[in-house]
Formats: sequence, structure tokens, C-alpha cells
Amino acid sequence: MVLWHGPTPRVAMESSTSSGDIVALKMIVMMKQVPDAEEIFIDPVKYTLNRSQARGIINPSDENALEAALKIKEKEGGDITVISMGPPQAESAIIECMGRGADRGILITDRVFAAADTYATSLTLAAAVKKIGDFDIIFAGESTTDSGTGHVGPGVAEFLGIDQVTYTVDSRIESGMLTAERELEDGIEVVSTKPPVLVTVLINSNLPRRSRLRLKVDAIRKGVEKWDHDTLSLPVDWVGLKGSPTLVGALKIPEERKRESRPVKLEEIPALVDELVKKGIIKIGDDA
Amino acid sequence: MSEFDAIVVGAGPAGSSSAIKLASSGLNVLLVERADPPGSKNVSGGILWGNELAQIIPDWEKNAPLERYVLSKGTGLLTEDSLISIDFRSKKFEKNKTGYSVLRAKFDQFLANKAKASGATLVTGVTVDRVAVKDKKIIGVEQDGDVITSDVVILAEGANPRVAIDSGLRKPIGDRDVAIGIKEVIRLPEATINERFNLRGSQGYAGEYVLGFLPGGVKAGGFLYTNKDTISIGAVVNSADLRANNSTYSYNIMEQFVTHPFIAPYIEGGKVEEYSAHLVCEGGIRSVPKLSGDGYMIAGDSASLSFSNGLVIQGMNYAITSGIAAAETAIAAKSRNNYSADSLKSYDEKLASKYVLEDMKTFKGIEGVTWSNLMHKAVPKMAENIFFDLFYETGQPKRHLYEILLESTAGSGMTKSQLILEAYRAARRM
Amino acid sequence: MQIEEKLSLLNYKTDKGYEHITVKPDICAVCPDHFCTFACPASCYTLIEGKLNFKYEDCVECGTCFFACSHGSVAWSNPKGGHGVKYKFG
Repeated sequence: MVLWHGPTPRVAMESSTSSGDIVALKMIVMMKQVPDAEEIFIDPVKYTLNRSQARGIINPSDENALEAALKIKEKEGGDITVISMGPPQAESAIIECMGRGADRGILITDRVFAAADTYATSLTLAAAVKKIGDFDIIFAGESTTDSGTGHVGPGVAEFLGIDQVTYTVDSRIESGMLTAERELEDGIEVVSTKPPVLVTVLINSNLPRRSRLRLKVDAIRKGVEKWDHDTLSLPVDWVGLKGSPTLVGALKIPEERKRESRPVKLEEIPALVDELVKKGIIKIGDDA
Repeated sequence: MSEFDAIVVGAGPAGSSSAIKLASSGLNVLLVERADPPGSKNVSGGILWGNELAQIIPDWEKNAPLERYVLSKGTGLLTEDSLISIDFRSKKFEKNKTGYSVLRAKFDQFLANKAKASGATLVTGVTVDRVAVKDKKIIGVEQDGDVITSDVVILAEGANPRVAIDSGLRKPIGDRDVAIGIKEVIRLPEATINERFNLRGSQGYAGEYVLGFLPGGVKAGGFLYTNKDTISIGAVVNSADLRANNSTYSYNIMEQFVTHPFIAPYIEGGKVEEYSAHLVCEGGIRSVPKLSGDGYMIAGDSASLSFSNGLVIQGMNYAITSGIAAAETAIAAKSRNNYSADSLKSYDEKLASKYVLEDMKTFKGIEGVTWSNLMHKAVPKMAENIFFDLFYETGQPKRHLYEILLESTAGSGMTKSQLILEAYRAARRM
Repeated sequence: MQIEEKLSLLNYKTDKGYEHITVKPDICAVCPDHFCTFACPASCYTLIEGKLNFKYEDCVECGTCFFACSHGSVAWSNPKGGHGVKYKFG
């Protein structure tokens, strides 16, 4: 279901390569502040996730998404807007992004957005992108460490009706096209597509730069814009818990499977391999 | 024209206190902290003594994240077999609270947020490289090639002050300036802590110990502070002796303390939540550098402003006091529009008139006593001998205390003349 | 409890792009005392088959090694950009 049609494709790329008006490349980075996974532990009695001691950090792959955008900005110019949906505390994460080189920060924050699933979150973020207006590339982390669905990036692209390139490890602009490398199970796929496009970026795909004092001071002065459901003209039953078709039924910790080991003698190995083949656990190829 | 009236480097007790005072007096102040969030790189020896914070946060006792107030102050001598201790607890401490245990990750964040709320620009997660200098005058700070200017820079970086050292504003830290502090935070139910230390509600225990059982010249003190539902326990290791010994691991000294038969029961069954290490300023007045100059002041541990006489370790209150004094000096300098070395000299004078430098001068050379063989080797052993003789029923006629005392000096590892000399020195300095 | 186990309790944000402490292997190779291995509370300095091994990832940024080394091998700086150890209690 496409609720919004994406903005008219911009002519930025073409005009910057040919003569005529050079329109600055416009990029958006979607970032989420997540509880530091290092500081979440499993309650030994209730078997639930205890996040009470966990402090907020930028979702790791979102750092890579921002870095991907910053690299393009360094080479091609343009500007970067960081958008994040979350509680007011997420402002510090946006300031950090601006300290690394993002030009504008928007925090989408409203009590009615709380407890949104990936559908409602994608819808809300897409509405924010729509409100920002013209853009060429949206960068998003591949997935978050606190839910790990990987839905939101692609969801936003769907709501906006634009192309998406997922699981990328590198991206660049080549003659008006976005060229990205996707890391797949059996190799790297190189994809070129015409903006506007949404790109999801894999964790550890680049080395995020550090923020600078100069830029952070400027960012604090500039401030972070705060948008609520009114700003986005979103009906309250489209967002938050009400707008979320997903319900979490239960949270379970899987039983740890007992593994056994014993030392084996060298001459036992062929028999063991035969057994594994017989049980269908391993396969021996023709060239073996 | 500078971008800021003042830049404060470091959002610990010294830096944040300074920034709170500056910002609430209407100055345009930048507070830069390398940790994100503030406090996450800081470790305390445990107790915040005094009531200095009241000057800048009148309701601090109500709102700051404090763990317990000190009702009971312990001082102990540990030998391999024995613990000789005094537990001073007083109802007077209930009325006039003298100290609170704090955990710095929370406490320092509270202070930094106060600074922000007072109007300071708080930047976290950025490490300042050095001070920026022009015409031999400090004009701001430098980071990643950028210069941010200010009329005055207040360095409050803690016990390992890289900016001050790398900018040549103080000598590098040496064996005589610091000891190695090592600490664990151990979780125990609140009720268990209350029971083990004979406490109720928010009453707390703060104990300092001489670790008289360490082999071969190594000297260290131990500390144990109760928090709400954790215990902070650790060791402060003298680095010069550790170097001379060169066969003892600093972290093993900590382990020996927490596993001592008369310390271990306090933390038994607890879960180690955190291990940490931090330098402890122990150099006394000798380690204090030039405190101010053209366009800068140094506060807190960065200036080695701390005090330890073996019975208490005071650092955070000195940090707060010096931070506020630096702020007051900067405020006065602004009104004169003069940030020269002469103008900022009043910072030194302010500290001299407060107890900070006063105490440090009065107790000049105290570090020689707290780290003496007398304190760490002879006294614990002698005390053990005396009490053992006094309380152990031998079936023989009782002897006079004097005789026992004389005899016990023999087992102390020091000659009588050494003992007398060291005791005389100690008495003069304490 | 072993030191390794204690260190494993800590949360570090390791900077893969910057080692805030470096040592000079030539100096360490002929060091007569290797006092760093005894002084460092985080056991970042160890001797493996007589050779000094240093890892910055476990560093708790106390600064001990900076003055512990009296041979000028240790170059010390703070981690940058909020990297390094992140205490929860302190």
C-alpha cells in the first residue's frame, strides 16, 4: 500500500553533470537512539530484558549510514538532514550526528508515537521525509540493535514509493546515478539507480568519523527541530500503538541446547564423517 | 572578541561546579567533556565530604544522586592474621551530615546537567587536544585543528590532566604525585548491607584501612564505602614502592584486600558489577603546579588539589571548592576586563584563604607519613602484638602495657631508634 | 576472580581508527624491568615469551603506564570522540 507518492525525481544529478543550475545534493539520514546492547542484561529471575541500566547510543549501523552520507557530501557537496523518532533524550544523539557533519537535525517526538511497530514507524518517518520536501538519497542503518527487524528503511521507501538499495557496504555518485555495493551471501552486487532512492547500510561497513568540537558547538546553537504529529499532519490513529498492526505475543528466551564433545582418535574420523553424511548434516560435493 | 567568556575542560566535580557558577552568573561558558555521557570515565574513592555544593546547588542534598550519608567512619589496620579497627559512629553525624558516598557515573552526570540547565553550552564526547596560544597568552582550546576562543580557560581534567601536561602548563605526573587507585563495585541487597554494617535507612559506613600484610616493601591503603545497594571497595597502591618491588601486580593487591579473611565477609555473596582504576592525587602541596597564568586556571585533581592523611581521602570537595574559586576569579576578571596572569592571581589567593591550600600547607609532608614504613609496617604489627598480648589468656601473670609495648617494637621490623625518629616525624606532620 | 574476568564486565567503545596509547617496541625489547606489566591495573601490558605485548582495547584510561614507564616508550593520549571505557557506576 502506497500512502504517499514520492516527490518528483529531482534533477540535481543531471544538472550538476551537465551545464546549467547546480542543485545541491540533498541527503537524509534516518537515525535511532537505542539502548546500549552492552548494558542490557537478561533478568535472571523473570527472563525479561532489563534495559534500566542501559544508556542511549546511536544505533550502530545508523552510524555507518551517516558516515556513508558524509563521504558523499565530502566528495559531491550537498547537505545532510538527520531525522530521528524517539523521546526527547534522543536530541543528544542528533547533536552528535551534527557534530560529525550533518547540517540539520529533526527529532520526531510525540507521546502519541510511543509503542509504534515498524509499520507505524515507517509511516511516521515517511511523513517526515515528505514534509522535508526534496531529497535525493535517504540513508538508513540496515537494522537496529534493539529490535533487529530491518523493516523500517525498506518500509519508508515503500511508503514514499521510491527505489531502495539494501545491505550496502559502499555507495558513491557516478554520473548522476547512485552506485552502491550490496553485500550478499555469495558476493558483492553492484547496483546503480537513479535518485531519489533509499539506501540501507550494513553495520561495520565503514569507520564512522568522530565529532568535532567546532561542529558540536554550532549544532547546539542551531538546535534540533522538534516535530510532533501536528507538524506532520498525521491522524493519531495512524501512529504509535494505535497505528501498529503488530502485537508482541510473548517474549521467550530459547532453551540453550546442550552440546557434547569428546576427543576423537584420528582413525575414527572417516566413520564420523560417514555418519554425518548419512544423517544429512553435511554433504560431500563431487569435487571433494 | 572571544566566542566564549570561559571554556571549562572536563565535566567532573571541579569543571561542572565552575561552569554552574559561571553560567548562573550570566557568563557565556562552554563546558567540554570527553566522556559521553559525562561521568562515564570517572571513578571516585567514594566519599564526598563537606557541604561545598550548597554554594551553587542549594538543594543538592535533596536532589543529587547520593548513595548514603556517612554515619560510621572506620579506620583499620590489617595484618595477615588480624584486623585492628576503630569504628567511630555518632548521632551528631545524623544532624550534621559530614559526607556522602557517591557513584560518579550518576553524580557527575547530575552536575553536568545542572551546568547545562544553568545556561552553559555542554559538549560531550569530544577530547580537547590542547590549549590554543597566541602571543604567549592562552586564547582558547584547540580540537582537530579548530580553535574555539575564550577569554579564560579553566582546566579541570582530573588526575591525569593531558591538556595541562601536553600544553606545558604542569609537569608530567610522577610516582610521587599519584597513587594507583583500583576499585570494584559489588552489588548486595540493601538489607544485607544494613545488617552487615549495622546500619539503617540511608546510614552509611566509610572505612579506610592500612594494608599491613603486603610482602616486600609494597604499600597500599584499602577503602570500603557502602552505597545504597552496592559496596565500593578498593585499594590505593603507592607507585614508588610498587616500582621498587617490581614483582607485585597492582590488581593483585586489590584482590588480596577483598579476599582478606576479615574483609571478605562484608562482600560475600555479592555480584561484582564493575572493575575500575583511576589515579589518586597523593603528592600533597609539593605536587601542586602553578595554578594560574595568562588566560588560564587549573582546578581540582588537575592541580593535585587533594588531601589524604590516611584517615580520610578528600578530593571531590577540593575539586568543587577550587572550581567555584576559579569561576569567581573569572567573573571578577570579566568585570575588570582583564584576564592577565596578574588579574587571575586572585585565584591562588582565594584558594589560600579557603581550607584547600591552607590544609595542604598545614599538612605539608603528610604524604611522607601516610606512606611511611612506620604506618604500613611497624604500626600494624605492633598493634597486633599489643592486642594479642592483652587479650590472649596465657595462664601467666598479667604484664604492664609498657612492657608489652616495648616488646612489640622488636617484632615491628624497625629498630627502636628508627621507630622513635619516624614517630617524631609523624607526630609533627599530623 | 581473575583480572580478565573483571575486565570482561566493562563496556568499551573501542576506536578502531585510533590507538590512544602506543609503545616503542625497540625500547621495550631491551627494557630491564617491564614495570608496566606490574603497574597497569587493566593488565594491558603482558610478557609473552619474554616479549612485551600491549593492547589498548582493555585500557581504562587511568594514566598509570604513562609514568610507570621510565624509559620513554609509552606515548599517552586520551581516546577521542567519546571512545574508550564507559563506566556505569564509577
